[in-house]
Amino acid sequence: MELKVYCDRLSQPSRAILIFCKANNAEFEEVTIEIGKGQHRSPEYAEVNPMKQLPAIVHGDFKLFESHAILIYLASTLPGVADHWYPADVRERAKVHSVLDWHHTNLRRGSVGYLLNTVFAVAFGMPGDPKAAAEGEKLLLASLARIESFWLQGDGPFLLGNSKPTIADVALVCEVTQLEAADENDRDRILKPHTKILKWVEDVKSATAPHFEEIHATICSAREPLKKLKAQADHKSE
Amino acid sequence: MTLTVFADRMSQPARAIIIFCKVNGIDFEEARIDIFKRQQLTPQFQEINPMKKVPAIVDGRFKLFESHSILIYLACAFPGIADHWYPGDLFLRAKIHSVLDWHHSNLRSGAAGYVLNSTLGTALGLPLNPEEAAKSEKLLSASLRKIESFWLKGRGRFLLGSTQPSIADLSLVCEIMQLELVDEKDRERILGPHKKVVKWVADTKNATSPHFDQVHSVLFKVKEKLQSQRAVGVTSQNVLPSKL
Repeated sequence: MELKVYCDRLSQPSRAILIFCKANNAEFEEVTIEIGKGQHRSPEYAEVNPMKQLPAIVHGDFKLFESHAILIYLASTLPGVADHWYPADVRERAKVHSVLDWHHTNLRRGSVGYLLNTVFAVAFGMPGDPKAAAEGEKLLLASLARIESFWLQGDGPFLLGNSKPTIADVALVCEVTQLEAADENDRDRILKPHTKILKWVEDVKSATAPHFEEIHATICSAREPLKKLKAQADHKSE
Repeated sequence: MTLTVFADRMSQPARAIIIFCKVNGIDFEEARIDIFKRQQLTPQFQEINPMKKVPAIVDGRFKLFESHSILIYLACAFPGIADHWYPGDLFLRAKIHSVLDWHHSNLRSGAAGYVLNSTLGTALGLPLNPEEAAKSEKLLSASLRKIESFWLKGRGRFLLGSTQPSIADLSLVCEIMQLELVDEKDRERILGPHKKVVKWVADTKNATSPHFDQVHSVLFKVKEKLQSQRAVGVTSQNVLPSKL
């Protein structure tokens, strides 16, 4: 059955799925849908995902969106996926679900709220909302603190104290790495105090090498163009 | 009996879990954590759920929070649960995951934000915020439209065109029920146009009767109190279940 992954490497959940697929030697076609060019709003893409969001997959005739649902589906259907990614044990699996659920309204919400209103607003031709950015940053910082104090507690280096990564690790780490698009000063201000987070990102990167670094090239190289766009916008408004 | 469900029946996700347990004959103890009395903030409850939120469960020594995770765990860990609640088929299961995920940032965000900012906020010591309520209403209405045009498409009466309810139906319908608390005019304005949604709520209620109504009785008592206050032009204070 042919697997197509519709994604944009600038999108956090897109990266999570790509890294998972490559780390598990999945055979698939990566179909790039560029958010910046509005390609996710095309009628053709609406056939793939009526919610007009990324990522989405088509596996044979089966269409699916929502990255956590996709990660679970792929972990359960792709051949040869090691158990640690999505454990068969009902209780271990439940814990993976709980961190994925927590992510929606915590790390994800905070990170998106902050970055959309500071870095990406300009790129999308919108004014950023400083109040929303501040609220986003507050939630982002609280979420990072919570990951350190709770989700990373335990013997192992991965979420839930596991000795090997789960799908939750790729999902959440790819959210943290979205800060690579921000100004270095802002990124460092937010991330540097969180040494446990930084180590965890490195551990996930090593566990999924060389794919993690390769897939992150796009977001890392977005910083300079985004800075230029912001400088131009600031200059215009002066 | 090893299972304890820590819940407040004023909480949408808590109701979903209680109804699921009752419908499926799961033996459990319900431990009430009164959100309006801030009991979720006690050190004792923090031992159960460090995130200080309801619902949460303890099964033997196993602790779990996040209602979708709990519903999935219960469907898998307890015997005799009919397949339609959380199908073994990986394709059907994936679709259920996708609607549960979509719920967080759509119906849940819109509905909870609207109810809090238009009505319930004062009971939690927060000012009502009409501007935020308007934003939430926009998201809520968009979500209801999406449920009608996409999630309820198909042969059956339930989400994903299913002929029988799943855990997703319980989760989303309990969220919509929270709208019982807002002014009748507003509720009619928001929900009235969505006949398919209204029917689906009724179908889910019937499929889980009599438990659905029983578990919602607290909500309806608070609703009555709010309605009588509105009738005399008083704001929504002192409507908490503990003060009834």
